[in-house]
Amino acid sequence: MKPRRNITLMQQEKRLAYQLLLPTLVVLILVAFYPLVLVFYTSFTDRTFASPREPEYVGGANYSRLLGMTVMELPPLVDEETGERMVDPDTGEPLYERPIQVLPREPRRYRQLTQFTIFGRRYVWGATDPTFIRAIQDTLIFTVVSVFLETILGLGIALVVNSNFKGRGLMRAVMLVPWAVITVVSARMWQWMLAPTRVGVANVIFQRLGWGEGHISFLGQSEWQLPSVIMVDVWKTTPFMALILLAGLQLIPNDLYEAARVDGASVLRQFRAITLPLIKPALAVALVFRTLDALRAFDVFQVMLAQSRYSMASYNYYQLIGNRAMGLASAIGVVIFFIIFGFAVAYIRLLGVEKD
Amino acid sequence: MTRTTAKYLYRVLFWVVVAVIVFYLFFPFYWAVNSSLKSEAQLMMTPTTFVPRHPTTMEFTPTLRNYQAVFSHPQFIRGLRNSGIVATAATAISLGIGAFAAFAMGKLRFAGKSSMLYLILSMTMFPQVTILSGLYAIITGFGMTAIPGMIFSYMIFTLPFTVWVLTSFFRELPKEIMQSAQVDGATSLQTFRLILLPLTAPALVTTGLLAFIAAWNEYLFALTFTSIEPAARTVPVAIALFPALVARQEPFGEIMAAVVVVTVPVVTLVLIFQRRIVAGLTAGAVKG
Repeated sequence: MKPRRNITLMQQEKRLAYQLLLPTLVVLILVAFYPLVLVFYTSFTDRTFASPREPEYVGGANYSRLLGMTVMELPPLVDEETGERMVDPDTGEPLYERPIQVLPREPRRYRQLTQFTIFGRRYVWGATDPTFIRAIQDTLIFTVVSVFLETILGLGIALVVNSNFKGRGLMRAVMLVPWAVITVVSARMWQWMLAPTRVGVANVIFQRLGWGEGHISFLGQSEWQLPSVIMVDVWKTTPFMALILLAGLQLIPNDLYEAARVDGASVLRQFRAITLPLIKPALAVALVFRTLDALRAFDVFQVMLAQSRYSMASYNYYQLIGNRAMGLASAIGVVIFFIIFGFAVAYIRLLGVEKD
Repeated sequence: MTRTTAKYLYRVLFWVVVAVIVFYLFFPFYWAVNSSLKSEAQLMMTPTTFVPRHPTTMEFTPTLRNYQAVFSHPQFIRGLRNSGIVATAATAISLGIGAFAAFAMGKLRFAGKSSMLYLILSMTMFPQVTILSGLYAIITGFGMTAIPGMIFSYMIFTLPFTVWVLTSFFRELPKEIMQSAQVDGATSLQTFRLILLPLTAPALVTTGLLAFIAAWNEYLFALTFTSIEPAARTVPVAIALFPALVARQEPFGEIMAAVVVVTVPVVTLVLIFQRRIVAGLTAGAVKG
C-alpha cells in the first residue's frame, strides 16, 4: 500500500508544481518569447510603424543595410602634367582620391567610416550604415572601459569596506546611494556638472588644474563624449560591483589570512594567493551582470548625447521612434541580441561560470 | 620611523581613502542640491559657486523657487503619479505570480526543474532592447494604452528577478516545516499559504522593493511607449524631457529640484532597508 500512496503523492506534487508555474510561464511567453519571435520575423520585412501599407518581405535587406562594409584602396592623386604624386602644400602629406569617388554606390551607397594607412597605401573603410557600425564600436568601447574601471574601483571600495573600522555599517549604506538614483536622473546631474562653460563645475575644476580654458564641451566634442558617458556609468554602477565583491570577500574565512600572516606572507602576497582566487566566483558573476548590462546601455547615451552619438540601444530607439522603421529597428534588435549572446557564451567559457 | 607612527600614518591614509570614496559617491548629489537652491541668475554665474551666493554681494542666498516651480508643474506631478501606478502594479503582479513559481521551484519536486531554473536565470539577463519593436507592436496591436503597456512589459525584468531571488529564499527554509505540516494533514498549497508565505514575508518585502526600484528606474520602454501619449509619461521620461517653459535654455535649476525630489524618497527607503537590500542583491547574484 505504502509505495503506491507515495507515487500518487509525488504525482500530486508534480501537478501542483506545474500549476503554480503556469502563470509565470504564460506571462514570460507573452512578454518575452512572443515579441522575440515577432522581432525576428519583422526584421525580414520593411514594416513601418503606424502605416496602413502592408509590410513586404525583403529578405536580408535590413541586415545588409546595417552591416554592409567594405575596405577599398584610395589611389594617390597624380598630377596629370608632371606625373608626380600630389602633396598637400601645407603639410607635405600625399593626397589621395576622395572616398566618395571610390566607394561603391550600387546597390546601396557606402559612406566612409574611417581611413587608415598600411605599408604606405591608403585605404578607406566604408559602410552602408556608418552610424550603426560606429554605435557598435562605441558601445563595445564603452562596455570594456567602464566595466574595467568599475571592477578596479569596486574591488578597491569593497576591500576598504571589508576591513574592520568604525562606521563600516554607515559606509555600506552610503555606497547604495548612487545605485538608488534613477539612471536618467544621474545623467541629468552629470549633464549639468559637465556644462560647456564655467557654469559647470567640471570646467571650473579643469580650469583651476590648468586643463583647458574653461569652455570644454564635454558632451559636444567627439573626443570627450565617450569618456563623459563612461564616467557617469562608472559613478552609477561601481557601488553595485562593490556590493557583490564585498559579499564575496565576506565569505573568505579569516583564519586563512591569519595562517598566511604567521607564515610571513606580505599583504600583496595574501591578496594574490587568497583574496583573488576566492572572490573569483563573485567577480565572475559581477562581470557577467555588468557587461551584459553595459552592452544594452540606453539611458545615459540617450539623455546626454541624444542624436549626436549612439549606443546600439539608442540607435534602435531612434530608428523605431524617430524614423518609424520597424523592420530596420527589429534587425538592429536581432544584431544586439546576438552580440550580447556572444558575450554571454564567451564569459561562460572563459570564466567557467558553471552554476550549482 | 617607529612602529606607532607607521600605524598612525596607516590609519590617516585609510581615513583619507574613505573620505575620497564618500566624496566621490556623494559629490554629484551634493551638486544637484546646491544647484536646486540657486536662482536662474545664480546658476549662470561664472565661475560657478559651491553654495548659492548672491551674484554681486557673494552672500549665501539660497532660494526655494525651483521647488515651488517643480511642485506646480503638472507634467512632473503626473509623472510621479504615473510612475507610482506603474511601479506598484508591476511589483504587485510579479510578487503575486512569482511567489507561486518560486515556491514550486524552491520546495517541490518535478521533472524539468533545473532547466526551468536555467531559463529563469537567463531571463534575468535578457536584452530588453532587442524586443523593443516587438513589444511595441504587441501593445498597440492589443489596443493597450501606455500605462497598462508599461506594466505588462515591465514583467520582463521584474518577474524573472522576483522568481530567482524568492526561489533561493524558499530553498533555504528547512524541509521539516513542510513535512510536519503534511503530517498534520495540510495540503501543499495550504502549507505554502499558511506557513511558508508568512515565513518569507521579509524576503517578499526585499524583493518587492528591488523590483519596485527597477521599475521606477526604467526609461527605454517608458520613453518609447509614451512617445505618442505624453500624459502617461513616468518620472524618468518627465525628467529627461523636462520642458523649458521659456523657450531658451534648459531649466537646470528646476531639473535639479526635480532630481532631488525624486531621489530623496528612494534613498531614504534604501537606507532604511539597506541590510535587506544588500542581502537581496547578493542573493540574486552570489548565491545563485
